[in-house]
Amino acid sequence: MSWNPTRREFLEAGAAAAVAGTGLRPGEARAGQAAEQKGWRWDRGVCRFCGVGCGILVATEGGRVTAVRGDPDHPVNRGLLCAKGYANPQILYGEDRLTRPLLRRRNGRFDKNGDFVPVSWTEAFDVMEREWKRHHKALGPTGVAIMGSGQWTIQEGYAAVKLAKAGWRTNNIDPSARHGMASAVAALMQTFGSDQAAGCYDDIELTDTAVLWGANMAETHPVLWARICDARRSSPAYRVVNLTTFANRSSEMSDLEIVFKPNADLAIWNYIAREIVTHNAMDREFVEHHCVFAAGPVDIGFGMRGDDAQAFPAELDTRAQERELVLSREEAVAQRRRPGEPIRQSHVSNPGQHWLIGFDDFKRGLEPYTLDVVAEMARGDPDEPIGAFKEKLHHLAELYADRRRKVVSFWSMGFNQHTRGTWVNEQAYMVHLLTGRQARPGNGAFSLAGQPSACGTAREVGTFSHRLPADMVVDDPGHRARVEQHWKLPPRTLNPKAGSHITQMMRDLEDGRIRWLWVQVANPFQSTANANHWIRAAREKDCFIVVSDVYPTLSCKVADLILPSAMTFEKWGGYGNSERRTQLWREQVPPPGEARSDLWQMLEFSKRFRIDEVWGRQPVAGLRADGFEDGALPDVVAEARAMGHGKDRTLHQVLFATPEAQRFAWPDPVAEGHENHTAIHAGISWFPEKALFEEYAGLGRGRGQDLAEFDVYYRGDVRGLRWPVVNGKETPWRFNEQYDRHARRGSGIDFYGSAMQRLPSGDLEGPTRNEPTSLSGKAKIFFRPYADPPESPDAAWDLWLCTGRLLEHWQSGSLTRRVPELNGAVPQALLFMHARDAAARGLARGDLAWVESRRGRIRARVEIGGRNRVPRGTVYLPFFDEGVFVNKVTLDATCPISRGTDFKKCAVRVVKA
Amino acid sequence: MRMPVIVIAAAALGCAASRLDHARFPGAGPVPDAALGLARGSVFDIPVPPPVPVNAARPGEALVAPRPYPGAPPVIPHATGGLLPIGARENACLGCHGVRERKPGEAAPVPGSHTLDPRRAPDQPAAEVAGAWWVCTTCHVGRTGARPLVGNGFRP
Repeated sequence: MSWNPTRREFLEAGAAAAVAGTGLRPGEARAGQAAEQKGWRWDRGVCRFCGVGCGILVATEGGRVTAVRGDPDHPVNRGLLCAKGYANPQILYGEDRLTRPLLRRRNGRFDKNGDFVPVSWTEAFDVMEREWKRHHKALGPTGVAIMGSGQWTIQEGYAAVKLAKAGWRTNNIDPSARHGMASAVAALMQTFGSDQAAGCYDDIELTDTAVLWGANMAETHPVLWARICDARRSSPAYRVVNLTTFANRSSEMSDLEIVFKPNADLAIWNYIAREIVTHNAMDREFVEHHCVFAAGPVDIGFGMRGDDAQAFPAELDTRAQERELVLSREEAVAQRRRPGEPIRQSHVSNPGQHWLIGFDDFKRGLEPYTLDVVAEMARGDPDEPIGAFKEKLHHLAELYADRRRKVVSFWSMGFNQHTRGTWVNEQAYMVHLLTGRQARPGNGAFSLAGQPSACGTAREVGTFSHRLPADMVVDDPGHRARVEQHWKLPPRTLNPKAGSHITQMMRDLEDGRIRWLWVQVANPFQSTANANHWIRAAREKDCFIVVSDVYPTLSCKVADLILPSAMTFEKWGGYGNSERRTQLWREQVPPPGEARSDLWQMLEFSKRFRIDEVWGRQPVAGLRADGFEDGALPDVVAEARAMGHGKDRTLHQVLFATPEAQRFAWPDPVAEGHENHTAIHAGISWFPEKALFEEYAGLGRGRGQDLAEFDVYYRGDVRGLRWPVVNGKETPWRFNEQYDRHARRGSGIDFYGSAMQRLPSGDLEGPTRNEPTSLSGKAKIFFRPYADPPESPDAAWDLWLCTGRLLEHWQSGSLTRRVPELNGAVPQALLFMHARDAAARGLARGDLAWVESRRGRIRARVEIGGRNRVPRGTVYLPFFDEGVFVNKVTLDATCPISRGTDFKKCAVRVVKA
Repeated sequence: MRMPVIVIAAAALGCAASRLDHARFPGAGPVPDAALGLARGSVFDIPVPPPVPVNAARPGEALVAPRPYPGAPPVIPHATGGLLPIGARENACLGCHGVRERKPGEAAPVPGSHTLDPRRAPDQPAAEVAGAWWVCTTCHVGRTGARPLVGNGFRP
């Protein structure tokens, strides 16, 4: 339905444009009102940027986007946007927008050492196909890979999963959202047996305590921050706490700021839990009915390479932690061991293993985490008196222990980009479960997604190396069978062996194990830690890298083929935000030049593969699964023929242009006059975005991931819907019988997740009884100890380096740095330093400095003070600027369970340049 | 105390011109990867970031730029050092902009839209800026005078 301005919208436009006091020159004020009357078409859309998922209204005229406004009727933002949201129109029109495929060529042929030349789509696909088949012939399905992101639309992510897993039988598909959200996912799966937040954004207004942990919400989720500020200013009892490793803009609205040392979040949670347990602040009834206690191994490494392969000499000492480490004094106290004790990392290959423990063991684990011990470990600002810091910790514990308070704990990358990210996520649930503050309005532990569809696409569609859609996993035979049936594939088409996660894909590229890579809607060569390894691999190995993007990014510079993609308003699509709100939009304007939607690209490329080329017997090193020959996938071509697919059938016909899909005709009345350039460019009269959505939704409906029908999301009274959507009604709070139709009647709270629900029992050291116990309907309270990060500052590399985002720029900057207002506001990534650290190195504000680590060096200009006020001993450098390539110095250590990279802490030195 | 307005952008100007050249890409001939993107040169180079221009305009000393389209929030034309950050009770912006009507030579008033509580009372203008609009820097960014890295063809 085209949107017509309501009276209120018109008033606002008038107020904004016509009031002389805004500083607009008179002509502009009149132009503002005149433009409204020019007959712009308005339609609903979703902001391209962060995981908040603001609803927007997009104006178009003559095939161009002309304006954007916040949707006043949208529950998430109620008409507000942030500075990036307002830039949605301009991101389409940077002058170096990619409009033609570009191939490295020399003497008329593809040459990895050639320069980029515009080629036709046909030639582009010819080279892609030829290189794919060359490398697939040598290496099989594990030699090819797709890197995507949580910025794929739901339909694009789903098509990519089908193409990779069903078509090519590779599980080498993984998103950059792995870094943002994998720890959150792993912890949710381990704790509740089911992914995704129990609560929703309504909790912001319903709670009276908002605690931020490693989440600079003022910069990274600005419209949610506006909601918190609103609640804070409206209600005198509302409290806001900011736990962070450096003072930032989120501190300013907070009643309590706690600057802690990197990794000490692990200790602080245990201190809070200990206080709750010893001072009888537990919700005993909740714990007894709905929870069990659990523990896991401690010696799980840090997700680094386990050997010295490909290492720069300086990296070897950090890498060695992956095999064995020596306990520091803090760790020894926290883990009830001896300082100096060497610990072999024996559980690197099974870090997620866990078992049930008793409450007494849980208490024993918490015992060392007294206020005195934790304050010493956790104080992050060396210039803050320890007494003052202790008081703050104590105050924080009191807030959590106060049974009259409702509490929501928010976090994002501080917890999720952490070498113990899964653990620290679980600790948040630990405290909330101990106090009965989960799945109840105004109460809950809430991980916020960074990317706009990290939830809706990456997590829900399962665009991961170990996943299938709807929370299913590749190594579960029941899950595979279900998906094979739904996709009408022969049994045993799907590969049961998990593929490479995104960081592992880079290592595989370096090792020559992956030799064909398709990057879509991601900039991984700029955004992956320890980048010097990967850019060299891309350029020097015998590999073929194709990057589909909208602008020439750093990843494009190391690619062999660049494909021009359609942007968000140039295609039909959908995103799912952090509160499980799925939102769909129509195409608004056509893509420029020869740019094509990622969906069109995958549909077209799938025509290049006959099933007998991909569904024969395939080697997969290390594959061991019931019903499979060791090390190989079976030939399923004969079975496919029996199902009606001749061997000449292409993947396009079998996966995409199926009879079922083609029943969704294009044009479709839901379009209301909007076009579909995927269909136009493909020359088809069916509706791929709707067909894929409905097929995907079929996998989740009835299983707790219910989505509504496609058309429902386009109704005039709908502003997205929070799944599960059952009988047309959305679910604000999951697991709560009052709100969630999947919760069993009479249960009150039913943690009905089904993963990892049968566990052995043991004590803090390990399992002692292997007969599994079933935990139907219960969540796990984990005991997790404090652990040091793998690399801390020392004499040679004496500063903590933290990296992340600022409000004005989105991720690697490829969109926002082409918007004049945003670039003009923050034109460069600056190195935030403490005044005394700078002075000690002869550095003044604006001076040029080297930032060096064991892995590389870059140059940056110094900022002192400003929006991030780092404590002495820490520096902060945002990652949006390809000219200040911070990932050349960062460390590719990950949470071993989730494989999300820890971008927040490594050791550097800073020297005047 | 009076200070001349100095906006430092010299080095940034030189770099911006060559970047706008490659906005005409793709042209006829082959393009090396060093010519692509927002940082010229090879990814293996370590660029020297240019000096960052600093906005030294005090409030009232610079004109607000035209908005990119009607309804877009204006960019803050003056320096904000010392005026930020905005706290739960402290909002230096409102010190000048929290007035009802425009007086010649004085700060632009916050528009009436900012007094509407979008969640609880969206149609009731109020006397004060509503909590949801309190943090001005959510929508209003500053400016340094740095030139664009590439041109942008957006027109409303």
